[in-house]
Amino acid sequence: MDEVAKNRWKRFAPLLLLMLPGLLYLLINNYLPMFGMIIAFKDINFAKGIFGSDWIGLKNFEYLFKTSDAFIITRNTLLYNGAFIIVNTLGAITIAILLNEIRAKLYQRFYQSVVILPHLISMVIVSYLVFAMLSSDSGLLNKSILPLLGLEEISWYSSKEYWPYILTTVNIWKGIGFLSVIYLASIISIDPEYYEAATLDGASKWQQIRKITVPLIMPVITIMTLLAIGRIFYSDFGLFYQVPMDSGILSDTTSVIDTYVYRALMNLGDIGMSSAAGVYQSIVGFVLVILSNYTVRKFNKENALF
Amino acid sequence: MAHESKWIKWLAHSVLMTFSFACLIPFALLIISSISSEQSIINNGYSFFPQEFSLKAYDYLWDHWGELGRAYGITIFITVVGTAASLAMTSMLAYPMSRQDIPWKNFWAFFVFFTLLFNGGLVPTYLIYTQVFEIKNTIWALIVPGLLMNGFHVLLVRTFFMTSVPPALIEAAQIDGAGEIKAFYKIVLPLSMPIMATIGLFEAIMYWNDWFNGMTYVTDPSLFSIQNILNRIITDIQFLSNNSNLSSTAGEAMAEMPTTSVRMAIAVVGVLPILIAYPFFQKYFIKGITIGAVK
Amino acid sequence: MRKFPSWGIAFIVLALLLAACGSNGSSNGPAKPGESEPAKGNETEESYELTVAYFTFGSVPKDQLQIEQALNEITKEKINATVKLLPISFSAWQNQINLMLTSNEKLDLMVLMGTGYANQVSKGQLVEMDSLLKEHGSGIVEALGPDYAKAALIDGKTYGVPTIRDLAQKYGFYMPKALADKHGIDLSNVKTLDDLEPILKKIKESEPNMVPIVNSVNASPVTTFSTRDSLGDDMGVLLDNGQNLEVVNWFETEEYAATVKKMREWYLAGYIGKDAVTVKESKSDLIKAGKGGSALAAMKPGFDVQEERQTGMPIVSAEMLPPTAKTNTVTNIMWGIAKNSKNPEKAMQFLNLMYSDKDVVNLLDWGIEGTHYLKVSDNVIDYPEGVTASTVGYAGLGWMFGNQFLSYTFKGDDEQLWEKMKDFNDTAVKSKALGFTFDSSPVKTEYAAVSNVITQYRIALECGALDPDKVLPEFNSKLKDAGIEKIIAEKQKQLDAWAAAQ
Repeated sequence: MDEVAKNRWKRFAPLLLLMLPGLLYLLINNYLPMFGMIIAFKDINFAKGIFGSDWIGLKNFEYLFKTSDAFIITRNTLLYNGAFIIVNTLGAITIAILLNEIRAKLYQRFYQSVVILPHLISMVIVSYLVFAMLSSDSGLLNKSILPLLGLEEISWYSSKEYWPYILTTVNIWKGIGFLSVIYLASIISIDPEYYEAATLDGASKWQQIRKITVPLIMPVITIMTLLAIGRIFYSDFGLFYQVPMDSGILSDTTSVIDTYVYRALMNLGDIGMSSAAGVYQSIVGFVLVILSNYTVRKFNKENALF
Repeated sequence: MAHESKWIKWLAHSVLMTFSFACLIPFALLIISSISSEQSIINNGYSFFPQEFSLKAYDYLWDHWGELGRAYGITIFITVVGTAASLAMTSMLAYPMSRQDIPWKNFWAFFVFFTLLFNGGLVPTYLIYTQVFEIKNTIWALIVPGLLMNGFHVLLVRTFFMTSVPPALIEAAQIDGAGEIKAFYKIVLPLSMPIMATIGLFEAIMYWNDWFNGMTYVTDPSLFSIQNILNRIITDIQFLSNNSNLSSTAGEAMAEMPTTSVRMAIAVVGVLPILIAYPFFQKYFIKGITIGAVK
Repeated sequence: MRKFPSWGIAFIVLALLLAACGSNGSSNGPAKPGESEPAKGNETEESYELTVAYFTFGSVPKDQLQIEQALNEITKEKINATVKLLPISFSAWQNQINLMLTSNEKLDLMVLMGTGYANQVSKGQLVEMDSLLKEHGSGIVEALGPDYAKAALIDGKTYGVPTIRDLAQKYGFYMPKALADKHGIDLSNVKTLDDLEPILKKIKESEPNMVPIVNSVNASPVTTFSTRDSLGDDMGVLLDNGQNLEVVNWFETEEYAATVKKMREWYLAGYIGKDAVTVKESKSDLIKAGKGGSALAAMKPGFDVQEERQTGMPIVSAEMLPPTAKTNTVTNIMWGIAKNSKNPEKAMQFLNLMYSDKDVVNLLDWGIEGTHYLKVSDNVIDYPEGVTASTVGYAGLGWMFGNQFLSYTFKGDDEQLWEKMKDFNDTAVKSKALGFTFDSSPVKTEYAAVSNVITQYRIALECGALDPDKVLPEFNSKLKDAGIEKIIAEKQKQLDAWAAAQ
């Protein structure tokens, strides 16, 4: 038995060697700094250093739960991320499938370049562009489009009910092209023989998509979704802070854990408290991922991540 | 049959056209705002037909050309070196993980995935990179921390290898006498150009757009990357205005801060080079199809 | 690439990694004490290199290194030390300083901002400097004067010294002169917010495209109009500019209720812009573009000239509230010695030069004579020919580098500017709590929660975008939920203890 194991390791030695640089990097870049999570449980004093500072238990976590907004920020974070996962995945797969249907080179190039454009613009600039649409004094929507439809002007930055839709739209607009490129890459590599056979059997396009394309890119969909679930307590700070222009009036529908932490610690600058927020977000994500991975495993062992 | 595929094509074109339009319009607004005069932006808002054009924003950037030119050089260097190293490391780690027969298969996946959920935060990372590896104010500071390899990409590439590279092909190669590494390099990689191009594109964008490493690990102005400089110009004003105590004292500093049109010009200057480099990656999406078809 | 063996790639990557690990880099690594050359002519004591960190806005001036060299010539001779200037982008400032302090990097002197000062002291980031001041800092103490020198005491000890500039603030109203003349507006009797109403009304009626009163980014028109001592953060304030020491909840006072009610009226009447809450241009830019009609502002001697430079048009202004000095107007910008410093004595000696040596101050403020400025007369300077404010190779922030009163005045400025400023500081009404700095660390949980509630409501209320009848009670009840009363009680306790020690 030992001998077999030994041989197995020997056989895989070159492969393990291939892995070495990457593993080393993760060790240095990600695992070593994890000792820093103890900062969340300490009252950091610079004169004493990180290890010498006093332990204060969970005190750094208190501010996350103490406020009456704790419910709102958690609800918002979960709802937004939940919506993003569903809408973005469906949207990106659709775009990717459609992109794959385009065969004319010129169009192919054009669409592929254009859909990724929004991903390249920073959120600060996106917030200006959104403002250009929504401003009360000079926005395109209020000045040109709404009057055209015979509708009243809307004061967007003080009407919180619209923001779930606005933020979801911006998020789709910005992220969907990027995501669709990932799906496109895996669709492109599906063996064309599958489709040829299906066509011979008289399967319609729609059937091909349902029976070949989607099942074959399912592992990619699973992994992307699991990753998104793992980060469900995190949110894109720029989207929730810059795009609503930090307008307090909107906070019922725009504030999420990350913006709460930023606003709360802006004056305090306490690294213990900010790292407490990170630890909290990570642990929730971790638990959820383990649960989802377990569920995936039950249905299809192949698709599970581990 | 032919009727149906025509219908799908038509649908694809109309959806993609609409979406492309939605992507292009704001971008056009961005470019137009960068050549609008400040006065017309303030008085009439952002507009596709500004009252008055002005190249003042680009004049402002031209004044900083010495700085910007050097920064472009740094950015190009770190993008090329970083992306190449990153692609190599990512695929080298992902390939063995994708093999069904590798020992400890699940452990590796977990080991990589865990890094995506937990991190120690900035302070300990900084301590390790500056105290142990002493990379502060070196070019490595812009390449190594955080960016060099991303667990997310590793898992993506692993999944891709698992689904798109038939194990039979690797076995066949091994029967022909190729070692593990040769099989990886001769068979697996060429079959994986689409995902390599995708990851390469993402890595290149990440390197190109990164300002965080520069902000954290570099204080020497001769090592500033382009985004680092642009980001300072944009965010300093935001921080200043958040600090109302200071802004009354700092009135003079406020006056030197760039105007809206400059911020727009900065965004344009930051994005254009990626657009120019984009076709390089695109080539491989198409190549991917042909390899698949030839096989 | 194709012919390249995969082993080769693996090796290159490994080599890259190792190089990254082992490399010290060509540029200066973090902690290399004693790197500077030994001083000439003084071989008994090795010259020490001081690292001096401060923040900048936007880009680093292109002639930064020349300034450093010129500075070192002076400092080598006077205090046998060299100086490494370390400008840090303002947006990165807090992070970078925290990181440098945690990792014990080389850092001797740094700029402090009032808002974080107490925290920095309680976290042990700063060196206590009383004895150093006595020994090497006579120039600082003398220049500051007794009242202001003790404004930065914490528990009776000094951890930072304020820079010398406008140490008090007065509040007032200003508008373009052309606009005032056109409509026959007279500012001489403007004293209260009520007095502004007819002016704003007139602008609104006759200039339909103009927003009569504008505000700064992330602020409201009344942000720069204050009759209270905010004690740094407005969570518990002293009314009447701190003439009594009772800490009250500002947001529950009648004065606050009346102010937001007034702002609501202004908003509804169209005096305040509909986009006031989300505005992204500065007041000066708005006025310059002809979009803004007027503004309230914190003022100081020389305000009109400064504002004229920014808006590009003559302005008229009226003082509405007299100059007052509070802890935060003084501790706004200070210098402190970092706990990392290997040689606090040298740091103090250099700090002393920044407060007493005219050459050092002017070098840091204006650059090198002949290159960056020319002397017009003894104390007045101008740009050399062909150089303008946007092309000059170096410009420092005068209010940051020590004693601004030693700085030359620029052509066009009042030549007596610094005398007037000194007078302004000396005659300002002083809050009874001047010198008290609140340490929020005992109540940091509540502090975080309250900060969040304030950012949620405050600016929108003060811009009039929300109806105070409905929202003000809601705001106050949320503040209570978040624990503002606990903060106020803690503040009162600290303030009483501070007052008793005086």
